[in-house]
Amino acid sequence: MKNILIFKIFLCSILIMVSCSQDFLEKKPSNEFSELDVFQDPVLIELYVNGIYASISHPMSKSDGMLKAEFVDEAHDMWYNYFEFNNCLITSDNLSRWSFEKWADIYKSIRMCNAFFEKVDKGLFDNTLVDGKPLKERLTGEVHFLRAYFYHQLVSLYGGVPIIKNTYALTDDFKIARSTYAECINFIVEECDLAVSMLPEVNTDKNKGRATKGAALALKTEVLLYAASDLHNNNPLFSGFTHPELLGYISGNAQDRWLAAKNAAKAVIDLGLYSLYKANPAPGDPISQNYSDIFIAANTEEDIFVKYFLAKYGGGLTWVDYENNLPVVAGPNGYHLFGQDTPIGNLVDDYEMADGSPFDWNNPAHAAEPYKNRDPRFYGTILYEGVKWIPRNTDGIAIDPIGIIQVGSWEKWNNSTNMMEIVFGLDTRNSPIEPWNGGYTGYYLRKFIDPKIDGRFSGADTPWRYFRYGEILLNYAEACIELGEDVEARKYINMIRKRAGMPDITESGEALRDRYRHERRIELALEDNRFFDVRRWAIGPKAYNIDATGVKIIYKLNPDNTTATIPTITPIVIQKRSWLDKAYFFPIMRDEMNKNDLLIQNPGY
Amino acid sequence: MEKKSSLIFSIWKKYKIFLYLNMTIILVLSLTTDLVAAGSIGENPSKDDPQQVTVKGTVTDASTGQTMTGVNIQVKGTTIGNISDVNGEYSIPSAVDQNAILVFSFIGYISQEIPVAGKTVINVALASETKGLEEVVVIGYGTAKKATITGSISTIQGDKLNVSPSINFSNSLAGRIKGLVAVTRSGEPGNDAAILRIRGSNTLGDNSPLIVVDGIANRSLESINSADIENITVLKDASAAIYGAQAANGVILITTKRGLAGKPEITITLNQGLSMPTVIPKMADAATYAQMVNEVQSYRSRPATYSQAEIQKFRDGSDPWKYPNTDWFKEVYKTSSIQNNANFLLTGGSDRLKYFFSAGYKYQDGNYKKSATNYSQANFRSNIDAKITDNIKLSIDFSGQQENRNYPTRGGIMNACMKAYPTSVAYWPNGLPGPDVERGNNPVVMATSATGYDKDKRYIMESNVKLDFTIPWVKGLSVNGNASIDKNIQNHKLWQTPWFLYSWDGQTYDENNEPLLTKGEKGYSEPALTQSMSDGHRTTLNALINYEHSFTDKHNIKLLAGIERIEEESMNFWAFRRYFVSTEAQELFAGGDLEKDNNGSSSASARLNYFGRVNYNYLQKYLAEFVWRYDGSYIFPANKRFGFFPGVSLGWRISEEEFWKENIAFINNFKIRGSWGQTGNDRIEEYQYLSSYGFGDPYFFNNTLEIKSLKELRISNPNVTWEVANQTNIGFDAQLFGDKITLSADYFYNLRTNILWWRNASVPATTGLILPRENIGEVVNKGFEFEVGYKNSINGFTYSVSANCAYQKNRIKFWDETPGVPEYQKSTGRPMNAGLYYQAIGIFKDQAAVDAYPHWANARPGDIIFKDVNNDNKIDGLDMVRNDKTDLPTFTGGIDINLAYKNFYATLLLQGAAGAVARHITSSGLYGNFLQDDAEGRWNEDNPDATKPRAWNSSDEYWMANQNTYFLRNTDYLRLKNVEIGYNMPATINNKLGVQGLRIYFSGLNIFTLTKLKDFDPETNVSGGSDGYFPIKVYNLGVSLTF
Repeated sequence: MKNILIFKIFLCSILIMVSCSQDFLEKKPSNEFSELDVFQDPVLIELYVNGIYASISHPMSKSDGMLKAEFVDEAHDMWYNYFEFNNCLITSDNLSRWSFEKWADIYKSIRMCNAFFEKVDKGLFDNTLVDGKPLKERLTGEVHFLRAYFYHQLVSLYGGVPIIKNTYALTDDFKIARSTYAECINFIVEECDLAVSMLPEVNTDKNKGRATKGAALALKTEVLLYAASDLHNNNPLFSGFTHPELLGYISGNAQDRWLAAKNAAKAVIDLGLYSLYKANPAPGDPISQNYSDIFIAANTEEDIFVKYFLAKYGGGLTWVDYENNLPVVAGPNGYHLFGQDTPIGNLVDDYEMADGSPFDWNNPAHAAEPYKNRDPRFYGTILYEGVKWIPRNTDGIAIDPIGIIQVGSWEKWNNSTNMMEIVFGLDTRNSPIEPWNGGYTGYYLRKFIDPKIDGRFSGADTPWRYFRYGEILLNYAEACIELGEDVEARKYINMIRKRAGMPDITESGEALRDRYRHERRIELALEDNRFFDVRRWAIGPKAYNIDATGVKIIYKLNPDNTTATIPTITPIVIQKRSWLDKAYFFPIMRDEMNKNDLLIQNPGY
Repeated sequence: MEKKSSLIFSIWKKYKIFLYLNMTIILVLSLTTDLVAAGSIGENPSKDDPQQVTVKGTVTDASTGQTMTGVNIQVKGTTIGNISDVNGEYSIPSAVDQNAILVFSFIGYISQEIPVAGKTVINVALASETKGLEEVVVIGYGTAKKATITGSISTIQGDKLNVSPSINFSNSLAGRIKGLVAVTRSGEPGNDAAILRIRGSNTLGDNSPLIVVDGIANRSLESINSADIENITVLKDASAAIYGAQAANGVILITTKRGLAGKPEITITLNQGLSMPTVIPKMADAATYAQMVNEVQSYRSRPATYSQAEIQKFRDGSDPWKYPNTDWFKEVYKTSSIQNNANFLLTGGSDRLKYFFSAGYKYQDGNYKKSATNYSQANFRSNIDAKITDNIKLSIDFSGQQENRNYPTRGGIMNACMKAYPTSVAYWPNGLPGPDVERGNNPVVMATSATGYDKDKRYIMESNVKLDFTIPWVKGLSVNGNASIDKNIQNHKLWQTPWFLYSWDGQTYDENNEPLLTKGEKGYSEPALTQSMSDGHRTTLNALINYEHSFTDKHNIKLLAGIERIEEESMNFWAFRRYFVSTEAQELFAGGDLEKDNNGSSSASARLNYFGRVNYNYLQKYLAEFVWRYDGSYIFPANKRFGFFPGVSLGWRISEEEFWKENIAFINNFKIRGSWGQTGNDRIEEYQYLSSYGFGDPYFFNNTLEIKSLKELRISNPNVTWEVANQTNIGFDAQLFGDKITLSADYFYNLRTNILWWRNASVPATTGLILPRENIGEVVNKGFEFEVGYKNSINGFTYSVSANCAYQKNRIKFWDETPGVPEYQKSTGRPMNAGLYYQAIGIFKDQAAVDAYPHWANARPGDIIFKDVNNDNKIDGLDMVRNDKTDLPTFTGGIDINLAYKNFYATLLLQGAAGAVARHITSSGLYGNFLQDDAEGRWNEDNPDATKPRAWNSSDEYWMANQNTYFLRNTDYLRLKNVEIGYNMPATINNKLGVQGLRIYFSGLNIFTLTKLKDFDPETNVSGGSDGYFPIKVYNLGVSLTF
């Protein structure tokens, strides 16, 4: 009996197992969203667009906090030094640690944009207006802006690139040729115009930080300015290259392009939404403080398109791509920071004297006290010997109770040994604190760094500004100069100089162009513009055929065995650099060339 | 749903009780072992029986006929006994009852009990324990006689593996089983599992074998106490097809011990071991390092960092605080660390009810001084077999394991020791820790709990209820069913606190003329707590029908059919808080409200399978087997979900033929066998057939708002399905001269098709596609395995030697290859994961040498010369060559030696591997020390003919940034993997102690190694660039007691 009962139970359980059969194999991923879900729900579509924003590269983290300044004549990376890059030794196998906009990453972002356009119509949007625009229109405008931004990044580095407006399926033919430079610029401008027509003028509340009409216009300005520049217009440098249409215009008129650039900049100005931060300093205003606040403040009237950060990401606890780690990466070693992004002497020397005259090491008064009476922006950008910074940590405070940058050394007389001893400053490479993190140039970065942040323990919430109004005014002035409208140009340059507490300029013609380019270098110092400016102006030799310099600073021993209170400062070479014309454009990687035989490589690679 | 979860909860509660019980038992045991041993002395047999006889005789080896020395002869139930002498003769010292029973026992032989029955001479032939052909081997969903097996199957007894003192059982497998490659990359307590590969690598994706414990698939090899293991079977060919879509990488079947009828028998083993790294890299000293830093700076036209006077001070140690010379490995690592392993086994029962119970405890300390790293594990198992009626058997198995892993909160200690400056102090004279390299990383502090703690607790509970029902009304028919629930819980607590390091300005001294130090806070501004928890379970249900019948005693058939469903679910969550006001309350409630965070997710899986097997043999001479499985996996889309996997194998025992028996009878067994089959591999990320979106990096708006973002995880591949392993195997097994010599060899040819891989190589980046896996690859893996054993006994000296070796080499037959790549760079036709390397062909002696040969743009004297492979007079990506070697060995083998003489025994395992390479790169330069090996004989102006490159700075140099063969090292090795030397106490002593058996032994792991590698263990692939932990060697003393 028992046997039979158990057997019956057994049979039943087998039947149950079989009958449940195959439905239970149908599992759903519980941590993912299906494509159908995402593109029906407007909330999720907005999150998807956020993902495109998150894919824009920024210089604050990249795990090493590298500014493009280190890849041009603005700064030196103490850690990586980028010797190969700064000697134009990059090849199609090796970009020498270039880790900003990368071909593959940008095309991933472009695919995200393309997918949005293909699917957004499935969204169940309503027509509620926020900041004057319905959500669908606003998001569409944002993605046009983003797609234009990504292509602008590519074209700035590579010249004409394949324009891809649709998404690929697995079975498609993936090969595609590069479009001409002109076609790319036209496409980007069209995208900007579409964005302008769809985006709100101002975003409020939780939409702050999204693209606006102003952001799209600012992008268009930069695109047209770059396109009008020497590199892409009647440039003789690559005359032997069989596909000049990939690198620049081969027909048309540069003046028309400057006019377009000028009009685009004027359109931003005419929006009337932006103004210079503390544009009209009163006598006695802390001008250099105002200047550094532009880059530290959470929001200013000058912001056009910015990326925000939260201080909780960064510092000791996390190490992620969306953090602002610049305080720990760039700060001086004497504060237990990494001393990595150090401005070079060549930039420092370019800051004018406060009266507008150039600084000159051959001028004995300048050389004796080089940091005296300089352009106020110098003080807002650079940390240098003897400047008061923030209080030291516990170990530094005994040596330096105030918190003064020490990048020099003291010759001191030791009475007990009757010998001279050299005492090195806390922020040198012979410091008692982390000497291996000491910079080589004698300067550290002040711009973008919030002194309230202790980089050892915290990231920064200082935003990164992709576009600010100051740049637009300069763009406008540049176009005016190229169109021969010197008076208009000077007016706008002098707006910038006035805010900086510097006297007006009065030059014209060629001299005005030089003065403008100098002004742009100073006002936009370390903001990632210079890298592109020296290329589009085709002044590579001027920027790279130089030795990168720093300073050697010694408080000398006086004949009476006291130590001088004013240091002797002499410029030193810290890195040899050199230029090759191929470096005006990036190489397409060998791997990519192999996968797509329709691609044409840039000259020199 | 509700019902299910409450059932699980009640089971969990039950388990918890078992766990507590288990731990209590261990505690009591360890305290009372001595007492127990002492307490049982004193049973004395009666000596007054009138009907007594004296007994003597000779003991011989049943297979060789030779006499045996040292055999233990004991009168059952008494302490009377003796040992056979060198001639194999024995006599019982005092007269015994004529009804007494004599027990003959010898290690490695089957004990025999012989009733005296009035005889005065009793000669005994003992049979070797190796049951040989009659041995029953566990195979998928059943057992088979070894004689009739046709697949390529290797087995090993659990006790063999227990020779290894390794805490992690997976490390005991290397060199033991032919065709099983085991590589131990790390010795970190709790994190030291070996990488296991059956017949090497066969696929581009996951190559790990399927683990089946007591019939339940997907259990973990590590969650089993090695003392509980009865035996292990490895299915290497088509015989694995019965496991279907998960079996392509082979199957490891583990069977745990079960109860034996008889009076309760208790075995207690206690092990105490010392562990240390197998090898510690030798770093440059302070003076050498300072000199090299100067050289690096000079190559960059920068002033020297150290003066010659300073370097002299580093060298002579005249000013140890300002100019120290620190050996960081010496400061951070202990000379030895403790590990221990205690086990308690209890077995016994009646014909109706048999039980096996075990409890164990293991502890392993980290190799650091004041180590925060350690691992402990407690486990129990209860296997009960009940015969309910003559036809119904019920087995109930429970096991539980608790694993505690403790780590410091800062990783990369070994790397930090390699990077730390020899010119910097580890400790100041007052014992306070010195400065860091960066981010507070001073390894003497990182290794301790000064930075908080990282506690990981895991609970594994496994259960199985099995019902066996022999159908009484059909002879040979039986059905059985299994129901199993396995549960897995993990608790993780990461408490990160600030820590403090001390620095000196190099100038100021205190009143004792010692450096005046300042204290600096490191790491975090205040404590933070991250706590996470995960909870998973797996339910396995299966039902099998077996039928076995012999027709006319010649045709033997065996049939099996079954159905199985497996479901898994798991969930996890974590929570984070910082801004703790005090370090006293280390719980979430005490954290601040700012920036608190949490997260969670879940997953589920399901499989449904039908399978079967047909065995036929004629007179056990002609053998045939067919296995099949119809397998359904949730991983694939509905129309690609089910697949059929067949396997067929044939065998011929030629030695059973008359002509063989008449002519070559000394080869008493010879079987040839062959197999072919298809198995599947579904080990890829699930849901590749769906287009999915998941959360990406957050984006911040309005300066304060953290907002989620969605990103495409991949595009869908609606056709995704499993990989197919086409496995062909031929081999033979032979025994000569009884079982004195055994031979076995296999040749296999595995063709893996439909390999799931990404089409990255040919899809241009312009597409922006995030590719799904597609069934695009084909890999051929072929090789052979060989095993030979010899055993003999001379004058009481018993010995056996067996050697196994395996060679396998895979090559990619087809996959996605970048078009336009030159032949010498193609991966097709070469082994999987073979890298591209520039060919290092020497060192540029001077500028003239640089100028004379194509070179990297900024090459200088002292740099490594890259070969201009394509002779185009420039060095670029086209000069890289695809290497033929990878980090997995192609040749592996082991030699197992067993020796016994009288009561002594020794067992040694030599294990080796060849054919692998490792790339050892250190982050040396201005931010890290150099290996002494790289410093000695390096190029500099004084040594222009060097064969080693100049001093360098991290990856600045082109030959550090670009993979080249200079840093590729041969990792061939031969090592004494395991050794055990032991002594079985003679019966006389056992009798006095009142135990049945007492054995003391010394055992060791990785005792010595022959290899060309100087600074790294040949099994590890760590180098200075990554986080790592040295593989360890262990010296162990153990005692085993049986009652």
